[in-house]
Amino acid sequence: MTATDIGMYVSAGMLVMVVLGMRVAFAAAMAGLVGLVWIFWSRKGYAGDEFWWALEVATKTAGQVPHGKIASQALSLIPTFILIGYLAYHAGFTRALFDAAKKWVGWVPGGMAVATVFATAGFSAVSGASVATSAVFARIAIPEMQENGYNKRFAAGVVAAAGTLASLIPPSAILVIYAIIVEQDVGKLLLAGFVPGVFSAFVYASIIIGLALTIPNFGPPVRGFTWGDRFRALPGALPILFVVFIIIIFIYNPFGGDAWGTPTEGGAIGAFVVFLMALWRGMRWPAFREALLETAKLSVMIFSIIWGVLIYVRFLGFADLPGVFSDWITSLEMSPMLILICILLAYAVLGMFMDAIGMLLLTLPVVYPAVMALNGGEFVSAADSTFGMSGPMCAIWFGILVVKMAEFCLITPPIGLNCFVVAGVRDDLSVQDVFRGVTPFFIADGLTIALLVAFPSIVLWLPSLA
Amino acid sequence: MAMKAAVREDGSRLSRLDRGLYRIESWLGLASGLAVFGLMLLAVYSVGGRNIMNSPVPGYVDWIELIMPLIAIAGISFAQRDGGHIRMDILIGRLRGRLLWMAEFLSTFLILLVMILLVWGTWAHFGRSFDWSAPNFSRDSTIDIGLPIWPAKLLVPVAFSVMALRLCLQLWAYGRAIMTNDAVAVPMIEDVAAIAAREAEAVSGAEPRS
Repeated sequence: MTATDIGMYVSAGMLVMVVLGMRVAFAAAMAGLVGLVWIFWSRKGYAGDEFWWALEVATKTAGQVPHGKIASQALSLIPTFILIGYLAYHAGFTRALFDAAKKWVGWVPGGMAVATVFATAGFSAVSGASVATSAVFARIAIPEMQENGYNKRFAAGVVAAAGTLASLIPPSAILVIYAIIVEQDVGKLLLAGFVPGVFSAFVYASIIIGLALTIPNFGPPVRGFTWGDRFRALPGALPILFVVFIIIIFIYNPFGGDAWGTPTEGGAIGAFVVFLMALWRGMRWPAFREALLETAKLSVMIFSIIWGVLIYVRFLGFADLPGVFSDWITSLEMSPMLILICILLAYAVLGMFMDAIGMLLLTLPVVYPAVMALNGGEFVSAADSTFGMSGPMCAIWFGILVVKMAEFCLITPPIGLNCFVVAGVRDDLSVQDVFRGVTPFFIADGLTIALLVAFPSIVLWLPSLA
Repeated sequence: MAMKAAVREDGSRLSRLDRGLYRIESWLGLASGLAVFGLMLLAVYSVGGRNIMNSPVPGYVDWIELIMPLIAIAGISFAQRDGGHIRMDILIGRLRGRLLWMAEFLSTFLILLVMILLVWGTWAHFGRSFDWSAPNFSRDSTIDIGLPIWPAKLLVPVAFSVMALRLCLQLWAYGRAIMTNDAVAVPMIEDVAAIAAREAEAVSGAEPRS
């Protein structure tokens, strides 16, 4: 049996364990350990007394990974972003944002729904947790939309869909994770998420305005706010904009010259501002302690998957599975663009059943090298490449596409989590109602993804400036 | 958001042990959370020092490297106790009663095997760095200000050992559940709606002012 055969058996075994419900981090670590033992033992011809030698070498190889890979400055960005999100809850930004959005954009047709999209997008920016964002806005925004005569299914759909914007608009923990796994520049990936994230929000808003203009009594504009009202609503919402702004400024200095610092430092300053706001708005030790514990828990969950998968990746290196998969993909008699679309569709299917972070971490070690090979290799120039972009730019483009795909799955049946959450929060709505209400946004997301595939410059414009 | 999952408690010895271990795990979790906060303060101080006072913090990156394992690994058992670690529960969520406890027992047992091997592997990794006769007991140090790395490496097998203890306790609990069909001291699988309602409640609790 060749090393590649072992790679395939072990990877298949790992997927079975994940489907059966074993926790992803440990299923990956187990696959890595078993695979390493198997490969080392096979090199000794499966001699009985060599098994213990193989076990020892494999265990010590795997034992280097948790500390060795985690102790890095680049990874420190993840807990900082998570902390911003939890502190933001305790600072009570959600209502302030919704209030400001209502006063500023309520006058457009379908104004209350448009305000919900922008408020949710704004809060998503600091929270990064789509599901929780949908849960809280379901409580705030749906009743107000219903009072204004919106169909309750549609109102629920707006909240479920807008919650998905979190993962693209900086600070996005999932983009940091992608960057680490594929060893690309974290700052450029975060920048790259900004335009598609805002673009998605505008697509959602356009759909709402379009529906409001064509369907009678759909959702009236909310008028009657003075400029004084609008400016008075701003201070509560400003820190959120400040956090996004400061992170972008730290990565890419628009005034020319060197960047002001690292993304981690930008994230830390953002977290500090949100912390001060939370203190000012009445956060005390019990709430702060809760925020710290939640941050710790979510951080350790993500890091466990990272080191678990990296043990598996170390085994994959010995098995050369990524190389074989890349060779197979590039030898297919199909257009590379069609292959890329098939890969994205496979993610859409997988994402219907699996958490986004787990899905990306488990599959990227094998899929990412294949996509790079399709484009002509990691160091290819734009002129020689298949998709018309250099290796690093292709890595950024693909990252944004898969992350958008993973978020898309939060509103697709059968287990679109955001829809379940909105239905769970509102007693008067069934999951079917929310899935029906979210349909226009589902189509909008499909369109957005098609546009991002057809016009990569939407994604690559900002990072190419940095 | 990962809030506390439902873990049933009663007066049994198993449940008392569970609560005792949870206290230790919570402390480790809090230490990890405080480390994130410390990391944030350090970065703010570093930016301020560099840009305002023109004096960068010495060893900024060295400190981050030492703090990261505390953030990333110390709370591993805390997350396991609350059923936090990410999994796909589309199949296992359909099981009920003894069949569910058997499936959980098997998967917990496999995780325990992995953790025992990793305690061994990470201890060996620490062992290569620690030396009684070397200055600061250290064979290696960080690149800028020469901090010893072994404390960060030691933290990993310690956290993994606490995790192994937690897994033993969960095996006991699942074993008991298989016999009595009554589960204590283990996280219960909840449906999405229940999780959603709990999250919304927690998040709304953080919204005292409107």
